[in-house]
Amino acid sequence: MSKMVKTGVFVLLLLTVMVLPAMNVYSQEDMRAVDSSAFDCPIRPPAVFAHDDHNDTAGIDDCARCHHLFDDNGRKIEDESSEDQSCADCHAQEDKGTVPGLRKAFHWNCKGCHLQQRTGPVTCGECHVKK
Amino acid sequence: MTSLYAFVAGPLAWAAFLFFFGGLCYRLLSMLRQVRQSEPFIFSYMSLRYSLRSILHWLIPFFAMGWRRNPILTGVTFIFHISLIAAPVFIVSHVVLWDEAWNLSWWTLPDAVVDVMTLVVVAACLFFALRRVLRPEVRFVSDASDYLLLVLTAAPFVTGFLAYHQWPAGPWMTIAHMVSGELLLALIPFTRLRHMLSGWLTRAYIGSEFGAVRHARDW
Ligand code: HEC
Ligand code: HEC
Ligand code: HEC
Ligand code: HEC
Ligand code: HEM
Repeated sequence: MSKMVKTGVFVLLLLTVMVLPAMNVYSQEDMRAVDSSAFDCPIRPPAVFAHDDHNDTAGIDDCARCHHLFDDNGRKIEDESSEDQSCADCHAQEDKGTVPGLRKAFHWNCKGCHLQQRTGPVTCGECHVKK
Repeated sequence: MTSLYAFVAGPLAWAAFLFFFGGLCYRLLSMLRQVRQSEPFIFSYMSLRYSLRSILHWLIPFFAMGWRRNPILTGVTFIFHISLIAAPVFIVSHVVLWDEAWNLSWWTLPDAVVDVMTLVVVAACLFFALRRVLRPEVRFVSDASDYLLLVLTAAPFVTGFLAYHQWPAGPWMTIAHMVSGELLLALIPFTRLRHMLSGWLTRAYIGSEFGAVRHARDW
């Protein structure tokens, strides 16, 4: 192997080592709380939510239970999900027609299921835990 | 726990609002019936103009002679009642719940302002209680029910404050807050707290009698 190739491989390796962690800084496995920075002016501590542990203990397999998609008529598209988007990409700060505003979308989704299944937190302080 | 919350936020909340509004309507009708039976001539001089004139004059702090006689009590009464109404109506936490249940939402006060109003209400309740203990002429006309009404009124504010600040953590303080708020609402028409309705009618009656019959001022 020529010296040039060796240097090339070395530089490539170095670049990969430097870039890899930057590409994978954060994923749903590491999530401990729902980021509230999508809100114009957050006034509560971020809601606790350990993404993967939560869905394991709650036994939710279907990603689209939360990461849903709708067609133009407001009908839910089965077998497709939207985890590549954040809720705020589709839910604005305020209600728009049948699309609930961001805060309402979170509350209906989280609290709605907890109430329906009669388990999981439902009072403000249990989700928006002060540190 | 979640089932208990569902009960307190559902059927119990419905019952509380039913007792509150139903009770106030019942009170209004029974007051009118009583007047018609014992002193029907009062209706002959009731006047909207003199009623409103009296109510408006009495709504201004320290304007009426009755308000000036006891300036400290008057000051406390005014900021107590303003905070008592404004805090629960304009607190974010309540508006969030109205929005999610009925798609209704309105203007809110910052949490820090509501915190101060809450402390004002609790401090005013303590002031009213102390006054009953310390002033002989007030102690003489006070009984246990007066103190119970103050506890009933302060309870949703104390528990709401503690729940908001998460002392202690967990759902129980919020549950206690909801139950105490619902108890207060349901009991308002059936205790002396019904003055929130009858107070306006009393001013309307006195205002009309002074304006239309005696041609004098009642403030
Ligand atoms: C089941 C969990 C849950 C419960 C219960 C809950 N929330 Fe939230 N809330 C969330 C999530 C998730 C968000 C989205 C962003 C975040 O993490 O704050 C949110 C967002 C919000 C926001 C907008 C973001 C901000 O910080 O301003 C407000 C205000 C809010 N909640 C208030 C409340 C109030 C008041 C209550 C009680 C009446 C409550 N929440 C109960 C989960 C919850
Ligand atoms: C109980 C509701 C729920 C379920 C079920 C769920 N997620 Fe999520 N997920 C969330 C929320 C809430 C967020 C934060 C979204 C936001 O901030 O807009 C999120 C974020 C994500 C993200 C982005 C992570 C990041 O760092 O931004 C990915 C990827 C994701 N979820 C994948 C999945 C997959 C894959 C599944 C199914 C195996 C799944 N989720 C099931 C609620 C859920
Ligand atoms: C790709 C766009 C999109 C994304 C991403 C999205 N939503 Fe929605 N969501 C919609 C639309 C559109 C509606 C209205 C459907 C209708 O017309 O009834 C809706 C409705 C809702 C509703 C009310 C109806 C129902 O299904 O209960 C809730 C709650 C909700 N979204 C929560 C969320 C949450 C939480 C997230 C993030 C985890 C999220 N949405 C992500 C588009 C989206
Ligand atoms: C489809 C139903 C469902 C949805 C949607 C859901 N949860 Fe849950 N959640 C559950 C169940 C079931 C449990 C109880 C799990 C157990 O057995 O401990 C739970 C428990 C929790 C707990 C208690 C601790 C834990 O992680 O187990 C938290 C906190 C929580 N949920 C937050 C949230 C938040 C925040 C959201 C919205 C982003 C949400 N949940 C959406 C079903 C749901
Ligand atoms: C007349 C009745 C009520 C009064 C006077 C009242 C008053 C208050 C006050 C003073 C606070 C907290 C203020 C602060 O320190 O920030 C509060 C918070 C709250 N109240 Fe009420 N309330 C009443 C009834 C209710 C009812 C019936 C419910 C439920 C259906 C309810 C639900 C809540 C919730 C969820 C909070 C927020 C707690 C938190 O942020 O963690 N209240 N209320």
